This record gives sequence, C-alpha cells and structure tokens, in this order.
Amino acid sequence: MEFKLEAHRIVSISLGKIYNSRVQRGGIKLHKNLLVSLVLRSARQVYLSDPCPGLYLAGPAGSPAMPPPPPQQQQPGEPAAGPPAGWGEPPPPPPPARAAWPEPEPQPERPAAPVTGAGDAPRGGEVEAAEAAWRRVEGAREAAEGGAAGPAGGSDGFPEGPRGTRRQCGCPPGAEDRPGAPGACPRLACCCAPRPAEDEPPAPPAVGPRKRGAAGVGGGPAGGPASGSSPLKKPRRNSEEQPGGAAAAAAEEEMETGNVANLISIFGSSFSGLLRKSPGGGREEAEGEESGAEAAEPGQICCDKPVLRDMNPWSTAIVAF
Amino acid sequence: MAGEGPARGGAGRGSRAGAARGPDAPGVSAGAGGGGCPAGGNDLQWCFSQVKGAIDEDVAEADIISTVEFNYSGDLLATGDKGGRVVIFQREQENKGRPHSRGEYNVYSTFQSHEPEFDYLKSLEIEEKINKIRWLPQQNAAHFLLSTNDKTIKLWKISERDKRAEGYNLKDEDGRLRDPFRITALRVPILKPMDLMVEASPRRIFANAHTYHINSISVNSDHETYLSADDLRINLWHLEITDRSFNIVDIKPVNMEELTEVITAAEFHPHQCNVFVYSSSKGTIRLCDMRSSALCDRHAKFFEEPEDPSSRSFFSEIISSISDVKFSHSGRYMMTRDYLSVKVWDLNMESRPVETHQVHEYLRSKLCSLYENDCIFDKFECCWSGSDSAIMTGSYNNFFRMFDRNTRRDVTLEASRENSKPRASLKPRKVCTGGKRKKDEISVDSLDFNKKILHTAWHPAENIIAVAATNNLYIFQDKLN
Repeated sequence: MEFKLEAHRIVSISLGKIYNSRVQRGGIKLHKNLLVSLVLRSARQVYLSDPCPGLYLAGPAGSPAMPPPPPQQQQPGEPAAGPPAGWGEPPPPPPPARAAWPEPEPQPERPAAPVTGAGDAPRGGEVEAAEAAWRRVEGAREAAEGGAAGPAGGSDGFPEGPRGTRRQCGCPPGAEDRPGAPGACPRLACCCAPRPAEDEPPAPPAVGPRKRGAAGVGGGPAGGPASGSSPLKKPRRNSEEQPGGAAAAAAEEEMETGNVANLISIFGSSFSGLLRKSPGGGREEAEGEESGAEAAEPGQICCDKPVLRDMNPWSTAIVAF
Repeated sequence: MAGEGPARGGAGRGSRAGAARGPDAPGVSAGAGGGGCPAGGNDLQWCFSQVKGAIDEDVAEADIISTVEFNYSGDLLATGDKGGRVVIFQREQENKGRPHSRGEYNVYSTFQSHEPEFDYLKSLEIEEKINKIRWLPQQNAAHFLLSTNDKTIKLWKISERDKRAEGYNLKDEDGRLRDPFRITALRVPILKPMDLMVEASPRRIFANAHTYHINSISVNSDHETYLSADDLRINLWHLEITDRSFNIVDIKPVNMEELTEVITAAEFHPHQCNVFVYSSSKGTIRLCDMRSSALCDRHAKFFEEPEDPSSRSFFSEIISSISDVKFSHSGRYMMTRDYLSVKVWDLNMESRPVETHQVHEYLRSKLCSLYENDCIFDKFECCWSGSDSAIMTGSYNNFFRMFDRNTRRDVTLEASRENSKPRASLKPRKVCTGGKRKKDEISVDSLDFNKKILHTAWHPAENIIAVAATNNLYIFQDKLN
C-alpha cells in the first residue's frame, strides 16, 4: 500500500515537472523530459500492479459518470490484447521490489486516513470530485499553454495531477490486469477510491485562480462536481481554441513542445475520447504530432490512435517525449 | 609549461602517452615534485592554491560556472558561465626567487562568447549558457578555443598585442586623417611596445546545425575537424567551414513517440581520428568508426553493463543515464559518469567496466527527494589525471572525490572558503551514512544540495586541479616535498 502512495506521489511530481518544463528558459529539455516520462511510467506500473484490490472493492458505482466508461474501456482493451513489447513486461513482484524502493516519505499535504476503509457513501462523491479535479488539471494545463499562468510550483500546482492520471490509467490496464473482473471493480480501483477525499481540501484553492486566469475556462467545474463526461469536454475544448492555433503553427521539427501537451492531453483524451469519440484533445495533439498533416482531422485520429493502437496511451504519450 | 624543470615536464608527458596503469606511477610522482613522493594520487597531499570569484552569499545566476577546461599545455585555464562569458586564466611564470612555488593562475582574458537569442519560429529562448569549451592545440602565437551554447558553436582566437605602430603618414597620433597635400615628407611607421592587450575575436561561427540542445563538442586528433552532439544527432565539422557539417549519427526515430533514449555526451578518440564514442541516457556507450560508413548509426562496439535487478527502483533509469564520457589520455580506456558512480571501461571489453567507483552511494536511499528537488538530473563531469592513474569527479556539499586506480584508494575533499589559506592542506571529508556520527563526519541529511561540483579539470601534466563550485573556481595543487 505504501508503494501505491509513493507511486502516486511520484506521478504527481512528475507531471508537475513536465508542466513546468514548458515555461523554463531555453525551451523544453528533451533529455530531462524523457527521464521524467520514464519515471512516470514506472510509477504508473507500480501503482497499477500493487495488489490491494480489497481496498477498492467496496462501494458502488455511485455517480452517473461511472457506468459508461467501463464497458467502453473494455473495447479498446480487448482488441489490443497483445500489447506491444514496451508495455508488456509484467510488473515486478512486490516483495523484492519493495525492498529496493525508497521508503515512502511523509506527505504532509495528504492525510493518509481516507485511503483505507472509506465507506460506500463517499464513493460517489469522490468520483465526481475526482472528475472535477481532473478538469482542474486540464484547465491548469491550458493556462500554461496560453501563457496566462506563471510558472506553477510543481507539487503545489498538481495535486490533482495524479487524480487525473489515475482515472485514465486505471481504465485500460484495468482490463489488462484483471481480465477476470471487468466492470466496476477495477474501474473503481483505479479511479475513485484512494484520493478524492484527501485531495478535496488542498485542490480548489491551489488551482482555482490559475484556471480562471487561463482562458476563463471552466469556472464552473472548478468548484463543484458535475456529472461526468459533458463538463469534462467543455473546458478543455474551450481553452484549446486559444493555444491550439498558435501552437499548431509551430515548425515541424519543434523541440517536441507539443508532446508535453500531447502527453497530458492523452491522459484525458483516452478517457474522454472513449466517452464521446470526438476530438477533445485533438488540437493539442495535432501540434504535438511530428507529422501533423497525417490526419485530415488530427483530433479524431489522435484520440483514437493512442487508445486503439497501443492499448496503453500512457506508453505512447510517455515515449512521445 | 614555462619554468618547470624539464625532467618533470618530460616525464609527465611521457607517461601520459604510455600505458595507463602501473608504469604511470613514477610519472605521477615525477609530476608531484621530482621524486620522493610515493606512487598514487592519494598519497598526494592536496592543498589550496587559489580561489576565483565573488565571495558574496548571493550568487547571480549568470556567474555560475558551467564549464572548466585546461588547454593542452596547462598554461591556460578557461571557464564558461551561465551568462555566456568566457574567462581565461594564465599561469604565471615561476618566480625565480622561489623556485619551488608553482605559478599562479591570473586572469588573462574575459569576453562575452554568446548572447541570449530568441528563436522566433519556435518561440523559444536560446540560453547563452556556455555548455562546453574545448581548446585547439596551439599552432602559432595565438590560442584558439571552441565554445558552445545550446545551438551555436564559436571558434575564438585569443591573441596578444604588445606593440603598436606609430608614425603613420596618412593619419596623426590621434587617428585623424591628415590632408595628403600637407604631407611634405614620408616616414616609415615604427613599432613601439605597449601594455599587453589580450584580444579575443570570433573567427568562425558554426550555427543552425542543431535542432536539439548541444551537449558536447570534441576536437579531433587531426586538429582539423571536430564533432558536436545534441540529444539526437552528432555532426562533424571542419574548422574552416561554417556553412556545412556532416551528420554522422542520427538516433531520432521516425516517430518521436518511439523515442527511448538520447545522446548525452560524445568524444573523439585522442589518437585515432576515425573513432569516437557517444553515451546515452540508458547507460550505454557506443563506439563508432567513421571509416565503416558515412552515417555511423551502427556502432562498432557497444558497451553496457547489465543492470542489477535487485537495485531496481523508480529512478533506475535516471541514475543510469550517463552524464559524461572521457577517454583516458592513453586512449585505451574511457570513463563514464552516471549519477551515483564512475566506471572505467577497457575499450577492448564491452560486457562490463573494468572498474566501478561509488561516488556517493549514500544518496541511493534519497533518490525520491533528489527527484523532487531536481538534483537527480544534475550532470556531473569526470576527468582523468595527466597520467591516467587517478580520476576525479564532483559531488554535493562542495565535495569532490578522487580515486586512485593503482592503490584503489579514494578520498573526499571539499572546496570551501574555510579551507582557503594559502597552501593549506585539504583534510579528507567523510559522510556518515547511518548510525552514530563520528566527530568531523557530516551526515547525509546535512549535505547542502545546492552546493554541487559539476565541473572539474585536471592539468594535463601536473597535479593541479581546477574545481568549479557554483560561481567560484578553486585551484588546488599537491604539496611539494
């Protein structure tokens, strides 16, 4: 369990670094971002492989957002049942891995209590809070792209990061890791249970101003939970209009600036893309693609491609660095 | 090496050209002061010689030293900083009154090598930070060096002017033109001595050849070509030609999403002008031979040590990324630096290094914090002693480490203002890794991770080292008997 906490923390830190790299002087450093993405991938692997299913099984699919994703997640999961080599390695067996990993360090901003033994009732709210949190992540990212946000403190700025990644990463490998238990349980496991309660307090103040600054985006979803998919779509699309155009004009051999957006948008797109199969993350990914002209409708292709091609958009996104 | 005893200089050079082990020991001691000193770098007693730079606690970012390099003779020491400036120190001639004291390094020339630029097409700022300086072998009275930032390499000529012409016909002493009709007699201008002036002028600018950030440059042993390496490509240049370069390595995948490793450092072999190596972020080194094909994407040798699965962690990939690769002077070995260790490789054995030295293994349990504060991305450099018998690299808390390859001993020293009395010996430092902290030891948690020594250089023939600690340059020498 500790390792899930550790992994979660590392994921959030990594996302913060990727985010900050966009505003660093001298442009994005390819090497550093590659390393960060590798750490992100390792942490994600651990996060998914740490076998504590018992913690997450309790609790129904409380919110309206819950039911749609799992069946859709299954679809991309199954066709790509034979994953490409890069993602195929089994997670390290817990006992020796635990010995090697650093001790989890105290995380002052996160009370650990809610993780264990949360009851059924909070689950539904947690899911929605998680979704709201994810929207905040997106909004924050748009802020960076639009240049409206100042450099965000890494850990400060992204307490929500892991929530977002958690939900998206939960779904496809949920099908992969627990083939015998499709449906709500892995979905719950990956996306809702551990964090939302504890993340609620720190998140709104940290993110709110930045999100508003960005593009006037999503003042709505910032505060309150809303039913799953539709609010998720809107803020991202709105804010994409602004930076997307400018960014898409970037030269072909850009320093992979777009891949940052690519990476982060893939977190969301593979989730939201599954919900609605429309170019939610499209504009951002278009700028990130080396061969931007490859798709007549870049958004659509980019949404489907990472999801369908690799089964694990994470791997695609991460090695995109 | 003005003023040094010929025996010492000769022995130093001779041993450098020879084998790297064993027989070098006498070479080292010869360099150390004419015999009497036992073999091995660690029997040397290092002492403080000089420190350059401001004492202010508030360090301006532009003053942070980003590269240090001795020239081929060791008489000149160049530093580059984050503000794009190059400062060259020259070793003074030995004082005849004190024949045993070594010459001091004093400022010889300072110039602004690179300025910040802006790439309008990509809306990116190009930092003026000097990433690397490499000297060219001296061929005439002037000195030449290459300095590079992220995108552009420049060849600088540093020349001395100590005479000026006087007595021109067409202009008078103020420089004003004289009316030709007023001239009634002609004279020949004569050269008069003047105060020494050192001028630096850019002779070549090699630009627009790199899409990614340049991390290395290396002058070839043919003294006509050099390579420059960025994250994904290595280009070969001719020193005289600035509008063309040959791409000799390209590891950019067709689909950037498949990128898994980048080039982190590259260097030409010191004697074989067709051989170079480059290291990767995955901890591997590839040796390439330019005779085999124009594009050296296929390596001739591949050096990789299998990973120890028991030490796997989230950060295994980061700490295995190689930050520096340096050939030994002999050309038989190369040294690589990753985050926690330095490894010496025999070019004839690709399967594993012949030596592995732990620099700061006590940091292994702190990797998560180091990841958070970005220290895990620090790129430490390493260097060989002139005789290849010792290697040196930096660490945190202004510590630097030296490993003697013959005696297998290592020592940790500190570059600090407290130890900066002239000729004060440096006391070995020790980091306490757990349990009871002994007196004089420092615990891991007390280390100052903002004080990092990333750049060090060793004089090519003598035991003089230059250590860059943030904005200060320390020069240490071994104690003469």
